[in-house]
Amino acid sequence: MNTGQLSRAGLPFRAGLPLNTGLPWTVLRLHRAALIVWGVFLLAALGTLVWEVEITADAVRERISACAGTGGLCRLRVAIDYGGTISWVSTLVYYSFFAVAAFAAGALVGRELENGTAELAWTQSVSPTRWLAAKLAVPALLLVAGGTVFVLVFRWAWTANRDLMGDDWTFDDVFAARGPALVAYGLCGLGVGALAGVVVRRSLPAVAVACGAMYLVNHNLEVHREDLWPKVGDGVRPESHYWPMHLVETGIVLGVAVVATGVAFWALRRRTG
Amino acid sequence: MNRDGEGTALEAVGLGKRYRRRRGHVLRDCSFRLPAGRICALVGPNGTGKSTLLALAAGLTRPTEGTVRVLGTTPARARERFAYVAQAKPLPPQLTVAATLRLGAELNRARWDRTTAERIAYGPEYGRAYGPEYGDTAGRTAPDLDLDLDPGPDLVREGALRPGDRIRSLSGGQRTRVALALAFGKRPELMLLDEPMADLDPLARRELLGALLGEAAEHGTTIVMSSHVIAELEGVCDHLFLMGGGRIRLGGDPERLLAAHTLLTGPARDLSGHTVVESHGTGRQLTALIRTDHPPTDGWETAAPSLEELLLAHLRNPEAPDLFTEEPEKADEGDEAGPTGGTGDPGTTAATGVTGETGETGEENVRP
Repeated sequence: MNTGQLSRAGLPFRAGLPLNTGLPWTVLRLHRAALIVWGVFLLAALGTLVWEVEITADAVRERISACAGTGGLCRLRVAIDYGGTISWVSTLVYYSFFAVAAFAAGALVGRELENGTAELAWTQSVSPTRWLAAKLAVPALLLVAGGTVFVLVFRWAWTANRDLMGDDWTFDDVFAARGPALVAYGLCGLGVGALAGVVVRRSLPAVAVACGAMYLVNHNLEVHREDLWPKVGDGVRPESHYWPMHLVETGIVLGVAVVATGVAFWALRRRTG
Repeated sequence: MNRDGEGTALEAVGLGKRYRRRRGHVLRDCSFRLPAGRICALVGPNGTGKSTLLALAAGLTRPTEGTVRVLGTTPARARERFAYVAQAKPLPPQLTVAATLRLGAELNRARWDRTTAERIAYGPEYGRAYGPEYGDTAGRTAPDLDLDLDPGPDLVREGALRPGDRIRSLSGGQRTRVALALAFGKRPELMLLDEPMADLDPLARRELLGALLGEAAEHGTTIVMSSHVIAELEGVCDHLFLMGGGRIRLGGDPERLLAAHTLLTGPARDLSGHTVVESHGTGRQLTALIRTDHPPTDGWETAAPSLEELLLAHLRNPEAPDLFTEEPEKADEGDEAGPTGGTGDPGTTAATGVTGETGETGEENVRP
């Protein structure tokens, strides 16, 4: 009995999330507006990528051939139109982990602790641990599913017309958006946001803390990406290093997510008993 | 009157709570026992720890010292069996009333009583107004309706709730109704209600009291209601806790508490030998509330105090010794025999040795 209690203490994954309870419904219903906004954002991002590759690319090529006599500047401007849009999509989706962190710290956890609706759930037969587990599991599932779809579509879109794009694999957003690091950053935002919400217990300060923490994590990793994998010979960085570097960064970000989530559960249990 | 065999709804031993950001204890060395099946008023001035005590009992915060047991176990393990309504009546503002009730149903699938919840939320007229398309008595999960039907002014009284109303658009009293509906829908064995009446109009208050008394009579539900308005709960409760100084100062059946006190009026003179709760003189005349079951007869005019007089006298004199008309159970001690032997006589406190009597009662505490 006691060992069962202890083993549950810091481990959210053993808290159990029986899907036959109404908890997932509750989480989705309470945060329906956020779910809709996120869904529209994701669909718009995916739609833009497909539109650019399938429709815009051909038109861009026609305009480039029309540039024939006028020189390089015309050609460049047309290409920037195409590559710029795709780049914007990857940038927005990549940095959307800030929005995830703000949502988790504010609406998901901080506001509910601030206005007492969390306590309402805790006295409606849901233990604080199970409450937090459901609050994190439902968005985490959506982030993994949505993020995976985006990464696959982006990889396709990014390689479709390399000749029309001016970027390369080392660009910050391209580097993250072509693999699981994108999903990891989303989950990290969720965990860090939840921790900030549980500790600060007031939505606005928690949002600030969570976004600040995510900036530190992300900025430091971007600055030190070069050091994540040793260079070849005298400082050459071949493209074959993409996956090792990417997976190391993914691992670090997931590590931060797991630690933040664990501490959030620990802090919540310590206070509520 | 001896109901000791009924089990314990709520029990605290040496309970203490201090908040990190505030100086001093909110609760300190607080011990009491509430037998199951009682309707208990938790009264006391603002800031004496009523809300803290209820939050501790509801397992929302951890005690700094001591233990609190709910329905014979820890608050965390009793979670499904008690209901709690916080003073601020927190509800998710973005939901409709119907969605809020469905939230209660989803989180209490095993025991949700939809009919009762809807009766509390929408009022007794509701079923007639909306008919069977909403009033599903089988207790099945309600659809997340955003109904905006208007049943007409004849059937629903002014200010009544409709399923499609948003929580954020409700008044304080209307929110209270929804919060109470969630509590009732759970079909709890114990209700912990923090200032449930504060925002209710007199009509809604009567309705709520009726619902609470009905629930208690029908299902043996124990009800604990806090209030800083003493008169509000008089005549409704059959158990009383007066909080002060971070602990329970008076506890027990209000009739027995009253019977243990006498109001004396007479020429000023020495009262030593009596436990004087409060005395004030005007000239040579002295009025005193003393704790005794043998009122002095030598020239004093004696009277039974009203509940309000009794409570106010104790509030004005923090030095008055504590009194429990039922002995709090000793935790983890085999010896159950209190000083009264538990034969039906009310218990006594060690602090005063005063034995209450059930014979005489003041007219104020005649229950309806």
